[in-house]
Amino acid sequence: MAKLTPNNFATFLLAISTMLVLSRVGAEFGKKIGLPIVTAEIIVGVVLGPTLLGNLAPHLYNRLFPFASNAGVSLALDGIFSLAVILLLFVAGLELQLAQVLRQGKTALYTGFGSMVLPFSSGFTVAWFAPQWFGIDASSRFPFAMFLGTAMSISALPVIARILLDLNIFRTKTGMVVIAAAILNDLAGWLLFSFILSQWGPEKGMTDISHTIIYILAFSVFMLVIGRVLLNRILPWIQSNLSWPGGVLSFCLGFCLLCAAFTEYIHIHAILGAFIAGIAIGDSVHLEEKAREIMHQFVTNFFAPLFFVSIGLKVDFIQHFDLLIVVVILVLAFFGKVLGASLGARLGGMTRRSAMAVGCGLNARGAVEILLGSLAFDAGLIAQPVFVALVIMALVTSITSAPLMLYFLRGEPEGN
Amino acid sequence: MDTCKLRGRPPYPFEIIGVLLTFSAGMEEILAEAGYLARIFGARLVLIHLGKQTPKLKTTLDEIYKRSGINPGETTSVWFEGDPVKTLLEICKEHSVDLLILETIRRERVLRHYLGSVTRGMSRSAKCSLLLLTEPATGGTAFKKIVVSGISHPKTPLTLGTAVYFAKHVGADDVAVVKELDQPALSMAEAYTNTADNSTILRKQIATDEIKKVHDIVSRCHSDEIKITEEILFGRQGYTIRQYARNCKADLLVINSPDAKYGLIDRIFTHDMEYILEDLPCNVLIVHSRIS
Repeated sequence: MAKLTPNNFATFLLAISTMLVLSRVGAEFGKKIGLPIVTAEIIVGVVLGPTLLGNLAPHLYNRLFPFASNAGVSLALDGIFSLAVILLLFVAGLELQLAQVLRQGKTALYTGFGSMVLPFSSGFTVAWFAPQWFGIDASSRFPFAMFLGTAMSISALPVIARILLDLNIFRTKTGMVVIAAAILNDLAGWLLFSFILSQWGPEKGMTDISHTIIYILAFSVFMLVIGRVLLNRILPWIQSNLSWPGGVLSFCLGFCLLCAAFTEYIHIHAILGAFIAGIAIGDSVHLEEKAREIMHQFVTNFFAPLFFVSIGLKVDFIQHFDLLIVVVILVLAFFGKVLGASLGARLGGMTRRSAMAVGCGLNARGAVEILLGSLAFDAGLIAQPVFVALVIMALVTSITSAPLMLYFLRGEPEGN
Repeated sequence: MDTCKLRGRPPYPFEIIGVLLTFSAGMEEILAEAGYLARIFGARLVLIHLGKQTPKLKTTLDEIYKRSGINPGETTSVWFEGDPVKTLLEICKEHSVDLLILETIRRERVLRHYLGSVTRGMSRSAKCSLLLLTEPATGGTAFKKIVVSGISHPKTPLTLGTAVYFAKHVGADDVAVVKELDQPALSMAEAYTNTADNSTILRKQIATDEIKKVHDIVSRCHSDEIKITEEILFGRQGYTIRQYARNCKADLLVINSPDAKYGLIDRIFTHDMEYILEDLPCNVLIVHSRIS
């Protein structure tokens, strides 16, 4: 078995520790000035990465993060970042209660549908007819258009939940519709993105389109129907017979990685397995709230900071900043999501102002968009300027979501 | 008959009580229960028979009526064949039934659960209130402890009003209004920024806000003669109250009727009332408040 040399291992540990400690400092400082924690972590990444440290003190940067010069450390860090992505998708799935969509009924379905169709079609159309804006050549036009459509239609449930909590509208009709629609967005978005990655990602050509679609649907349906029934029998047994919380944590995380390995093996990206495993486990009434919290804390406070700091380490944000791409992506994001979701909510029976508030709520892309962009970037679907623009869009939409929601909800009855 | 007359009519008092008689082993008990409840509510009884009327059955029934203290002259008798759920829905509409009593088992087999039985089918689609009795007794069930779902919904005040009305008539001495708080994505939202103290404060604040809302509804339902306790539980709607009712050995669980007709998809992705129907913790009263 190949091993890291003591020096390389020390470098690896130093990199991890620097990212963890500084991201926590940044997050706590950001909290004081009202900055979302993900934003603070990305800023730490930008400071530590090629954008600032790489330019100002290249020797120190190369010593801390020797991606180019040390293959061993680079591979080890890449392994940690990939695991972070898998676990982030798993905990995102944990909170997706499909029954929530059924409970909210017509309003949630219309809102979810509207907040996917218009953003997807507007993103796809612009990328299809103006690929030159994004530096895309004709041969990559279709996968890029598919990706941009998906990137525009996804929402960030964790950020949205936090915003609703801060605005104290988490338990209102508006809040519940936003949550239910975001669940639909995320489910459809990640299924679609898994398809895009398996067709045009690093393993392109391994399976044909029809097989990929069948595999994705068969795996998802099996896990969400049969898998859930089995989990509902296994989880109570584990929680009452194995040590707590070790037993349930080992089982859940092991199950997530097993599903991720399986989907990777059948040439669909590992993220699909982790995401669907999260939904199947999270949907079980037998998963105790405490266990869910522990998994969230573990992933959010260890893997998430590493991942979000690594975003800043990937690219030079100043060198690859392209104003045209940033503006186009921002306009597309706001236009498609706010308008599409609002129209859906309005058709679902909400008042005009509440519908607009729902649209603004769903516009928050946050961590999920960054995750999506990062995977697309790693898979070679997008270039650095588009990745930078997506990160900026995710941050801008997350920061503007709460004040816009508040503006539209002013004067609306609380229970609406 | 004008079936629209049911619309907008309050869910109580129970003036007409229907009972489904399927000629099963527990028929005498369910009939006795229906007779007992019709007497205490001062309601007219509609005896709904599933099957074909024959002289032999008629004689058997007369004997059972006699033993159960039911005077057939004071009741309406209906016989029907064919699709039970569809026909029962029609009969309930036609006779303006306020409460339909059904005998049921606590837990159905997996296949039957997904295919749907008559009682579960009625629970998912009835346009009147339903009383599902899991263990009917010839002496009448004692409804001492009643648990009522207090979720945030326009139907809840009427459901609570019906539960109090029911409790007063059956002589219940303990009514608990339980509000379930299902907070999808709350753990995720908290994991990002809250400190341990903030998290505890947040949950306490949510519970305090919700208990105020429950108290408001309770104080509006004129329940002076009955002691009502209020409780907030964090957990999945339907499942949490089911477990609560089972743990506190409730005699009756009172819930809202579903907003829309439940189908197979609701059984696959179980939610709300489906958690209760898949494994009844005790007798269940599903209140159809007849508001749209």
